[in-house]
Amino acid sequence: MKKNPYKVLGVKEGASYDEIKKAYRELVKKYHPDRYRGNPLADLADEKMREINEAYEFLMKNAGGAYQYQYDYDDSSTSSQGSSYQYQSQQSSQYQQNAQQGYADESELERQARACLNRGDLNGAQRILDRMRNRNANWYYLQGLVFLRRGWYDRAYSNIQRAVNMDPSNFEYRNALNNLNNQSYGYRHNPYYYNNYRSSPDMCQICGTLWCADSCCECMGGDLISCC
Amino acid sequence: MFGYVEPDKPELKIREFEVFRGYYCSVCRSIGRRYGQVPRLSLSYDLAFLAVLLDATSHEAIQGDIVRCFAHPIRKRLLIRPNRFIEYASDMNIILAYYNLKDKWSDEKNLLGGCGCLALQSAFKKAEKRYQEKTRRIEELLGELNRLEKARCASVDEAAEPFASIMREVFECPHVEDERRRKVLGWLGYNIGRWIYILDAWDDLADDVKSGSYNPILEQYRYDGGDLDAFKASIKDKLDFSLTYSLSECEKAYALLGAEKNTGILDNIIYSGLIVKTDKVLQGRCGNNEKKSI
Repeated sequence: MKKNPYKVLGVKEGASYDEIKKAYRELVKKYHPDRYRGNPLADLADEKMREINEAYEFLMKNAGGAYQYQYDYDDSSTSSQGSSYQYQSQQSSQYQQNAQQGYADESELERQARACLNRGDLNGAQRILDRMRNRNANWYYLQGLVFLRRGWYDRAYSNIQRAVNMDPSNFEYRNALNNLNNQSYGYRHNPYYYNNYRSSPDMCQICGTLWCADSCCECMGGDLISCC
Repeated sequence: MFGYVEPDKPELKIREFEVFRGYYCSVCRSIGRRYGQVPRLSLSYDLAFLAVLLDATSHEAIQGDIVRCFAHPIRKRLLIRPNRFIEYASDMNIILAYYNLKDKWSDEKNLLGGCGCLALQSAFKKAEKRYQEKTRRIEELLGELNRLEKARCASVDEAAEPFASIMREVFECPHVEDERRRKVLGWLGYNIGRWIYILDAWDDLADDVKSGSYNPILEQYRYDGGDLDAFKASIKDKLDFSLTYSLSECEKAYALLGAEKNTGILDNIIYSGLIVKTDKVLQGRCGNNEKKSI
């Protein structure tokens, strides 16, 4: 038996198309594979994403709105409706391809280290990296990824930064560095924290703004607050 | 324990705050019932958070009673009915508090630590019996932590590893049946432990400079005895990144946990309370003495 797709998307049964779409978009943002890249929980996030996609496709196909959900819904619906986001599976397979086939100019050890990292074998990856003599940009990048996975974010950042400095044109390194910055920025600016009492203006700000507006108006010959 | 994990109170609904306090009281009572009155003093907010988090993994509806407690004799308060998660949190509190006091005694010959350690001895023995494997792992990791401190480890990441791993051990509660959920909890625990350790190191900078004690931040960024405020300002962004990134990993783990209840409180702590605390400590507005209990 499958999970109730309404529950998966967190909407009421009989929700409208728009409600379902909105909920779906929020969830995609939350469990996006980019957010979980290099994270030990990436496989769980992938699974969650698949569940969300299936639920969404099912609901889109079976007319949102008043449709009564039956628990044994048809699983074959996954193949239809190109409307949902498919990039997640594409992306992860691309990621694996990079790791498995290796880049043309990558040495054998680097390829092995990437494979270890992909399997989640951090000690194995570290052992290989320790054996390597040639500490090029790619070495620092891989070392950074190992630290990231381990939870050593300070070192992860400095290693990846170093890789970017050594080879500024490499898209992969820059992307990883941006991702690090985005993650912490994104967390700090999450809507729960950002839309709360701290962000609403205090009296000082309100008075200041009014005063400014009044002065501006007066400059232009008008007047906003006539008494001053 | 450290008591850094707190809700962002002004954003919390009164009902949610009552429930949170209900968990805190329930863990406290559970310690009193099973270990005696003295160990109750060792409870911190962090373990109340653990109880709320673990309980969120079960469907069972929250049940509570309004009771009077001798610690707060004036008004009756909500008390969540004890369950396996609340008892687990109280067991872990005993184990962590005991090691914390023991560490204080052996490091600084702190008399309070020594006395507290003695007072907790029998309670600790009981808790240890319940979770032998966990206690053994925690003791091992504490040994590792001591070794790194003695060697004056010059990497914040490395120094934070043992404590973070202890928290992973604590958060991976054996009463949570789903293995994937335990993994998620473990990663959440690791990152929160890392955050606590680094935040505490930052909070202790002034004291450690004065007493010459080991502090990983002073070692990694090679503090030369100059102006401490200038030193702090020069490395604040780096520490901020490290702390915030740890929290963002907590948040990612939390998103995958799929909490069944208590989401109001947990969202508040994970999305706001922890950031507020980080900023407070980073800006030095939270002295050591400000860590209070409910």
